[in-house]
Amino acid sequence: MSTILTSETPIKRKKGLTTKLVLSMLLVGALPLLIGLFLAFYQGTQKIQEVNGASFEALATETARKIDIVVADELTRTALLTTDVDIVTFLEEQRDALNALSPSASAEVLQQEQARWEAGDPDQAHAITQGPIAEKLKAQIEGTFIDPGHPIPIITRSATRALYMTDIAGRLIASIDHKPSYLHAQEPWWQGAFHKRVGQPYLSPIAFDPQLNTYTFTLALPIMDRLRYEAVGILRRVYDVKEFFAPSIETIRFGKTGHVMLIDSRGVVLSCPILPTGTTLGDPQLIPLVTPMQAGWTSAPSDGHGGQDTSIIGFAPLDNTSRITRASSGVGWHMFVWQSSEELFAPIQQFFQWTAAFGILGVGLLVTLGYLAAHRISAPIRRLQEAARRIGRGEFQEPIVMTTGDEIEELAEEINRMNEQLASQFAGLESQVALKTQEVEYLQESTSQILDSVPDPVIMITPEETIEYLNQASKNVLAITNGNSEGRPFFELLNLDPATQAKLHQEIEAVKHSSLPPIVPKTQEPNTKNLKDPLSQTNWGDTGDTRQELRLNQRTYRYRWFSVHVHPGKDACIGLVLRDSTEESLLQDQLIQGEKLASLGVLSAGIGHELNNPLVGVIGLGEAIQDEDNMENMKGYAKDIVQHGKRMAAIIRDFTGQIGNQFLESKTVIDINAQLTQAINVVKGQFPSESITVNLRLETIPPLRAKPYELGQALTNVLTNAFQAISGTGTIDISTSANEEGIHIRIADTGAGIAPSHLPKVFDPFFTTKGQGEGSGLGLTVAYRIITKLGGQIRLENNPKQGTICHITFPLSVEHPTTRKDDGS
Amino acid sequence: MNITTSQCFLLASLLLTSVAIVPTQDLQATAPSPPPSLSPEKVSDYLHSIIEADRNIYTTYVVKRMQEKGIVLAREDWESSNAIPLPAQFLHYSSKLVAESGHGVRFRLISLWPIHRRNGPATEFERKALEDLQDAPDTPQRGIVTSGKKKFFQSIYADKGITQACIICHNSHPLSPKRDFQVGDLMGGVVITIPLDE
Repeated sequence: MSTILTSETPIKRKKGLTTKLVLSMLLVGALPLLIGLFLAFYQGTQKIQEVNGASFEALATETARKIDIVVADELTRTALLTTDVDIVTFLEEQRDALNALSPSASAEVLQQEQARWEAGDPDQAHAITQGPIAEKLKAQIEGTFIDPGHPIPIITRSATRALYMTDIAGRLIASIDHKPSYLHAQEPWWQGAFHKRVGQPYLSPIAFDPQLNTYTFTLALPIMDRLRYEAVGILRRVYDVKEFFAPSIETIRFGKTGHVMLIDSRGVVLSCPILPTGTTLGDPQLIPLVTPMQAGWTSAPSDGHGGQDTSIIGFAPLDNTSRITRASSGVGWHMFVWQSSEELFAPIQQFFQWTAAFGILGVGLLVTLGYLAAHRISAPIRRLQEAARRIGRGEFQEPIVMTTGDEIEELAEEINRMNEQLASQFAGLESQVALKTQEVEYLQESTSQILDSVPDPVIMITPEETIEYLNQASKNVLAITNGNSEGRPFFELLNLDPATQAKLHQEIEAVKHSSLPPIVPKTQEPNTKNLKDPLSQTNWGDTGDTRQELRLNQRTYRYRWFSVHVHPGKDACIGLVLRDSTEESLLQDQLIQGEKLASLGVLSAGIGHELNNPLVGVIGLGEAIQDEDNMENMKGYAKDIVQHGKRMAAIIRDFTGQIGNQFLESKTVIDINAQLTQAINVVKGQFPSESITVNLRLETIPPLRAKPYELGQALTNVLTNAFQAISGTGTIDISTSANEEGIHIRIADTGAGIAPSHLPKVFDPFFTTKGQGEGSGLGLTVAYRIITKLGGQIRLENNPKQGTICHITFPLSVEHPTTRKDDGS
Repeated sequence: MNITTSQCFLLASLLLTSVAIVPTQDLQATAPSPPPSLSPEKVSDYLHSIIEADRNIYTTYVVKRMQEKGIVLAREDWESSNAIPLPAQFLHYSSKLVAESGHGVRFRLISLWPIHRRNGPATEFERKALEDLQDAPDTPQRGIVTSGKKKFFQSIYADKGITQACIICHNSHPLSPKRDFQVGDLMGGVVITIPLDE
């Protein structure tokens, strides 16, 4: 899949797909082929081994039986001589004759007879070689001993190299020729056949006879007495090995090299068409493999004929013959069947060559077909890949036409569908992009227009301190009439002295490195949110950095830096807003001056009003005194004048006294109830005519540490306010109380009350509801200041029934307990 | 024939022991009042009982049992076929061992229907004895025979086929001249030969 969609290394991937397909086809096709080939070869080899091994075994067994029969036949035929009555009788007589002699005498006789034989005594020689027994031996050789009409095979006859007979003492008693020696009792064959008088057949291992210049073997048979009680003589027959066995063995040939071989258990070859008789098998390890007591076949590492190839060898023991030979000399005789491996495995090798050739042909076909098939698969995929890449690049194309009729065709349809969908989506996107671009252009235009319409100069510079943008106002200020100013160095436009330039440059650097958030300067935030004391000196310092003044072209500008991101991915631009503050500061100065004058006017008007009324009264009274003769009345007028004077003095005291007295007096422990009572009396005195009922309910309250006159003035002012509010008939309830929170004074009148809109203003200076001259508007202000200064609170509220309630509270002073003790004492 | 396997050593020791017992008993029996000699009839009877007992034990307890359990077969070619000797071979081998021991006493199996010709009657006396035993199998045939100047005492005892294995083998062997034996039939005789002139 990835081979189609990835476009980076298309050529490499293309080849990979074909290679993969060819490889997988090879794997699927060639691997089983090779495995099958190998298995067939292996199986074939095994089968050939088994079949041939079994055949070789059968042949070996068969030949062994045959040779067994040949040997047994020869033995039986020769044994006929040993049961001949004449011979047995003669030998019994010989025995009895010897037994009659003493051992020394018999030994002497033997020696004498041997000497005669060696000397070639004609009588003795005649008796032995021409006597009746010798005749019987010759008849045996001739084959006419048993049945003259049916002579024994010429082979065994001609293979016989010697045939003679000894008696119980080993003396030669008959022979077909002169060759044998005379005494044989010490020879192995004689002792083997005599076997301590018991007698048993003897077959010697083959041995080289130097006299005959050939390999021979001996068959020795005991001649038993007529009772078969004991051996009385021995018959010996010597055969030429090659001549004896060759007719039975060397004729058996098969194929070019297949043959049968007779060996003994020492590995000596008795008869073989290839190896000469008497040689020993070259490989000593082979001998035990092929000479067990049972017939069989083996896959031997060598062939026994000098070859080192793995060989299939069939073998079988000569059961009956081996029984005799083993009893005689411990050596067994065995058949050995062998064929050369080359010949044996020739068919399977030919088969292997043929199949290998077919295999190579098959692999070649597979590669070719695989390449063709892979090409058929990969070609349309390559087309699809090309199409996908072009779609990926945005080059829309005609629909892919593919008629493979398989998954690739479906894939092509899918890609066509994808192509169409992408095309339609891209079309929508383009119109949207155009729309957005237009919007952005409008936005830019409008922003520019907005900025141009702003009367303040706005300048934006890049971090490199070149001009990014200038609005119309700034162009006017900087007297840029035409030409493109963008990109010009910022300081080139501003005509500034070097000190200011350095300062501005420093500020730009500061803004650059603390540009977040860009638009709202950091220093503005604490001003608006934390409500810092505007009189704080440090605050001025902070704002001074960003709100400083700049003189350009004889005009003063306040300016502020800000940081703004104009281009995505670039450093923020630094903006500079200038405001022409030349007129503004002038106007502000005038305004402050005006405000000062206005408040002075109000104050002087208030004081004037306050003082004017008593002054008019004094003037009137003074005129009355001038015209009055009655002393009593004059006194009365004078009294009034004094009163007015006092009042004026009180008004002036109201303005000034608080300042003067507070430095003269010192704090003492004050009984509030006493102060209150005193204040009521003072106020009552001011309103003699009015029928006002004062209800006093004073509880014992802790003393307060304060300045007595100050507190008294505060209470007086509050009470005055209450008396004035009643204006005529009414009741004033005054009570004091104390709890853990503090001391509480409550003054409730039944006056007109306070309009809700006036409530917030009652403690403001010069606020009054009274007519001209009735009040200064400072009474409650003074009371408020005093009480607050003492740590207390004063509050006015409208009584729901009628009038106003004034609450004054003082916190409990820490020194109360001690002061109370002082009071008590 | 040479006996090379361990089985044969076992048999040899068995037989030698039994043979050795005979003179011991003889000495003990004759010690109080020594007679001049022991009659050869007695000696051969003793020997025959031992020979017969040994072979019967081998036949019944070894050959028959092993063959019935399927462990090992008794075959004529036992040496080359992982088998054990036939009971008749057992007797042949023990006979050979006794002969090789050089004590003079010999025994062998003979038959009028031998599988191998060498086991036929060697003399006219043996032939006649076998024929007589057919009529009176329980009476051993005895006599004195000569070989040249040598004299021997011979006792010939009837030998019957005691197990089915004996019968089957003799009836089916390719070289067997008679093939209608039945269990209990007289199949031949055991000849015990004792030299008299030594």
